[in-house]
Amino acid sequence: MAFGFLMLASILRFIAKGWVYDMYLKPKIFFPYFGFEWVKPFGQTGMYILFIALAIAALFIALGFLYRISTTFFFLAFTYVELIDKTNYLNHYYFISIASFLIIFLPANRYFSVDATLNKKIAATHVPNYFVLTIKFQVFIVYFFAGIAKLNSDWLLHAQPLKIWLPAHSEMPLIGTLLTKEWTAYFFSWFGCIYDLLIPFFLFIPRFVRPAYFFVIVFHLATSLFFNIGMFPYIMICLTTIFFTENFHIRIIHFLKAFTKSTTKNEQTVFSPSAKTLKLFSVLFIIHFTIQLILPFRYALYPGNLFWTEQGYRFSWRVMLMEKAGTAFFYVHDRTTNGEIEIDNKKYLTYMQEKMMATQPDMMIDYAKFLKAEFIKQGFKDPIIRAQSYVTLNGSGSREFIDPQVDLSSQSNSFLKNKDWVKKY
Amino acid sequence: MIQKAINRTFVYDQKAMKLRGLTFILSVCLITLIFIACKKKAKDKTEEEETKFDKPAMLANCADNVIIPNFQAFKSAMDSLVYSFTAFTQSKDVATLTTLRQKYITAIIKFQHISTFEFGPSESEIVRSNFNTYPTNTLTINSNISSGSYNLGTVSNLDAKGFPALDYLIFGKNETDASLIALFDTDPKAANRIAYVTACLSEMQTKTNSIVSAWNNSYRNTFVGSTGSQIGSSLGLLVNQLNFEIDLLKNAKIGIPLGKKSLGVTLPEKCEAFYANSISIKLAKECLANIEDVYLGRSTAGADGKGLDDLLESIDAMHGSEPLNAAIKNQFAVTQSKLNLVAEPLSSSVNNATSTVDAAYLEMVKLLVLLKTDTPSALGIVITYQDGDGD
Repeated sequence: MAFGFLMLASILRFIAKGWVYDMYLKPKIFFPYFGFEWVKPFGQTGMYILFIALAIAALFIALGFLYRISTTFFFLAFTYVELIDKTNYLNHYYFISIASFLIIFLPANRYFSVDATLNKKIAATHVPNYFVLTIKFQVFIVYFFAGIAKLNSDWLLHAQPLKIWLPAHSEMPLIGTLLTKEWTAYFFSWFGCIYDLLIPFFLFIPRFVRPAYFFVIVFHLATSLFFNIGMFPYIMICLTTIFFTENFHIRIIHFLKAFTKSTTKNEQTVFSPSAKTLKLFSVLFIIHFTIQLILPFRYALYPGNLFWTEQGYRFSWRVMLMEKAGTAFFYVHDRTTNGEIEIDNKKYLTYMQEKMMATQPDMMIDYAKFLKAEFIKQGFKDPIIRAQSYVTLNGSGSREFIDPQVDLSSQSNSFLKNKDWVKKY
Repeated sequence: MIQKAINRTFVYDQKAMKLRGLTFILSVCLITLIFIACKKKAKDKTEEEETKFDKPAMLANCADNVIIPNFQAFKSAMDSLVYSFTAFTQSKDVATLTTLRQKYITAIIKFQHISTFEFGPSESEIVRSNFNTYPTNTLTINSNISSGSYNLGTVSNLDAKGFPALDYLIFGKNETDASLIALFDTDPKAANRIAYVTACLSEMQTKTNSIVSAWNNSYRNTFVGSTGSQIGSSLGLLVNQLNFEIDLLKNAKIGIPLGKKSLGVTLPEKCEAFYANSISIKLAKECLANIEDVYLGRSTAGADGKGLDDLLESIDAMHGSEPLNAAIKNQFAVTQSKLNLVAEPLSSSVNNATSTVDAAYLEMVKLLVLLKTDTPSALGIVITYQDGDGD
């Protein structure tokens, strides 16, 4: 239920900030995911209708109304929106997609919901523990992998990027001066890493849930204070309550009932799905979690520094790990005259797209392919698209990022191919 | 019964003790690690600079010694320009025309020192587009003059007003002094022409006055008070606009005439102040000087106050093995020296001395990367409104 309300808030916030326009209507080109190039945005009306529908679905999920339809729609629509453009990839959005996928299969509408009130037959006070466990396990994965990702020398030994990000807030009242101190960055780095690695374990131990939850709140409020990360801290704060005992949730429900004045029978009923559905669900969950456990390690298939090449970076819970920025100059090289045109990126890309593209090789390929098509339309014959790009990573200072002679438009984004034209870090 | 209860408590306690032991060990590890980390840091830096960088002081220096004096200088240059045009209309001769042209050059030079500050009052007046969209559209200008009816506030007139339009109108295209004066004097549309120049000048003057008065009143404190590195903070605005300006320098002032966007085919007519035809490089140098002034916090009188350079020093920003500030200062110097080698007029140099202009251009690209990529990244400046999760 909390998930539903939070999603409602997220979607409304998204619309209110004008991001529907900024991200899905204003851009002239989109950067699709490999294998999902067919995902394209609707027009203006379509996108707004979709977002409003998402908000309604979120509300329905919160109320437990038409639960399975709402969750399925929410999952599909939300994932669709995210697949349009990888510029907007955020681990939180990925998490929302996964969570909304998982809850489709959960009997979360069996108690204290509109569905259960309308249809007494499905009402139940108890559900098998493994349903709750799936969500718990997903949260576990998020934290634990985020923790593993922090086990690198930049983070632990050099306190990067926090050494850059924290002093930027030196004007904050009371703690401002503290943030400029070097040990503060080290403290936050180590605390963050240890927190991520340990918190999922402590949350699983009933005795430690309360103190652990205290840390959850402190940690996520701190991150929301210092960083521009939107709704994510609140989502995690609410979601981790699933680790509390049932008494805690029942108390909240009783508290809410006092407002709605609804009454329910006190008899206990257990929801027990049929053996066949159960089998199906368990196969599904096993596949899901196997993928979840393997995906973050796919970077090992590629040579080079992961943060620099970003091959296998997404979908791995690598959150707030690097301060990376770049500038890329793209050139359209005409084979017949040997003349070149330097591209004004602003003409084709939004600010956010340009910023993301300049540091991410796969987006450079997409952009080069777009430019090639664009200039062929203008009468060029098979132009070469090359780029000069400078990137700085965790305060290292800018250096040349890719081979400036390579024709990017003839490169492939396939998972199977290593991008050897990215310079060594 | 009692025995069972005791047993249970015992088991429970044993479990709890195990867990407590585990937490204890982990806490010890944590504290040790933090301690090691701190110690390592202490070794790295024996003399730690404990003084926090004073951002409000930097912003105050920027406002009081860089921005406001430059706006005031621009305002008086604009006033003189307007005055000299009035003088020209009262006595249409070579002497007044010469003065008018000189005042124009002074004003557009002073403009190079305020163009960067396109935030707050300048942003509301859309200064860059309204004052300096070039190349100018001579067809629109001529049709506006001959019809006598136009609205300079429309988008379609952006390239028919401001400095580039004045450039065309008072320097003329292949006109002798006498034939240009005649256009304002004996030409059937002379009155329309005078009215058009007056309209252009008065739009610029009104906008300038409103900006200067905003800075003199409340905006100065707004600017100085908005510390931090968030969206819309003064530091964010300043760095962002500095980048925008160097982009203009690299592309509009040099790159486009040099043919960087046209397959290497040079486009001399796209030079800034093309009709004055002797100041394009001068304007580029002034623009570069202003960018450096803002970076260093250097006043109009040349006093080096607190600026971005000091801020980068205070956080020990690096560029490879050298301090970022040193790299940037050096790049300013190299860019200036390469630009000094380019001869006026730029419209000829792009064809006669292409490699010299190209060399200056390449140094601008390097400077741009340092200011646009390294600087905001080192300062943790947030420029976008969207959520992020650290790339």
